[in-house]
Amino acid sequence: MTSMVNGLLLEVTSGSPGNGLPYVIPIHPNLVHLTLGLFIVAIAFDIVAALYPLEKPIFKFLAIPVSSAGLYDVGWFNMVAAAVVTFFTVAAGFYEILLAQPPQDMISPWGLNATDTMVWHGIGGVLLLGLIVGMTVWRGFQRYLWREDRARQVEWSYLFSGLLIFGLMFAQGTLGAHLGGDFGVHVTADRLLRAGIDPNQRMSSKPVFKSVSESATAPLISGSNEIEPKEE
Amino acid sequence: MFENLLPPLNNHNLPYPDTIHPIVVHFVIAMVLFAVVCDAIGYFTKNARLHEVSWWNMVFATISIFIAIIFGQVEAGLATPYAAAVGDLNLHTLIGWSLSAILAVITGWRYIIRLKSPESLPVAYLGVNAALTVLVLFQVYLGDKLVWVYGLHTEAVVEAAREGLLR
Repeated sequence: MTSMVNGLLLEVTSGSPGNGLPYVIPIHPNLVHLTLGLFIVAIAFDIVAALYPLEKPIFKFLAIPVSSAGLYDVGWFNMVAAAVVTFFTVAAGFYEILLAQPPQDMISPWGLNATDTMVWHGIGGVLLLGLIVGMTVWRGFQRYLWREDRARQVEWSYLFSGLLIFGLMFAQGTLGAHLGGDFGVHVTADRLLRAGIDPNQRMSSKPVFKSVSESATAPLISGSNEIEPKEE
Repeated sequence: MFENLLPPLNNHNLPYPDTIHPIVVHFVIAMVLFAVVCDAIGYFTKNARLHEVSWWNMVFATISIFIAIIFGQVEAGLATPYAAAVGDLNLHTLIGWSLSAILAVITGWRYIIRLKSPESLPVAYLGVNAALTVLVLFQVYLGDKLVWVYGLHTEAVVEAAREGLLR
């Protein structure tokens, strides 16, 4: 534990971002936006398309011309994009897991320590990548071969599988939230606090938009000034 | 007057387990960016199908951004930002509200384009797409700073703020 804190002190005073990564903002959580947004919307539009006869009056009331073929196009192209992006999401995730230095003295709200949370999140990531690719292949077969001449382009079992995967994604996302929000993995401020440094001191020169109230820069722990880089 | 109707705040300073705003923004970020990509590919390959995909993604993004703002305001209000974080939180708020208006206008324009000439897109719309992409990416960068640099709503930051060590 002590050596970890020393390592943090060294890192945060040496000009690197201080989050344990060679760049300022973690990449994986950003690609997650794309994976989840694209997958969930793909399934949602396939559901809307499959139930289109029921929704006809609503779209008519909104004066929006709709073709169910157009809705199925969203279901298909968004799913393809989700599958492509998720390879990068998982790759970035594993890179950032490798560089993580999680605290060992904490338990998550699900009763897991940081290492176990990371292992489950890693397994979940690979599992979800496989499921998303599998769903894309299944969707492609339905669209171009099995159901090419059907009014309803997707099987109910496909939509149901999508909803089940939403559940897995919720669990996976909660594990990810524990890693960032509870364990503070790759969170600059959390690492600074754990090293006894007031984040205000390290960051006050950095916001894009400077605040007028920016005066509170008292050291968190007296004496921590000695290890601070001089601020110009 | 509503304090008693909500569960007590947890160690993320939230009345529910984890932040919701970063989840809702999936549906703004992913849908806007994918709509722009589909428009670009559709424009150069003259594929009207992709324009239809793009339109629906913009509709979804426009609905989602208002939900994102509601949760964003709740969570910003409970964020107890410390001095270094205040500026970026304010700018993120300002751009977020602006983006809701901008997205609504663009999607409205898109609705008209889709009614009048569903097979093609004006070049000006592609230009607006490019500007929108820059704005969304900058907004994502600010939100990333709030979560991953300043650690707002993380356990360590909430604890330090409650102990009066971080303000």
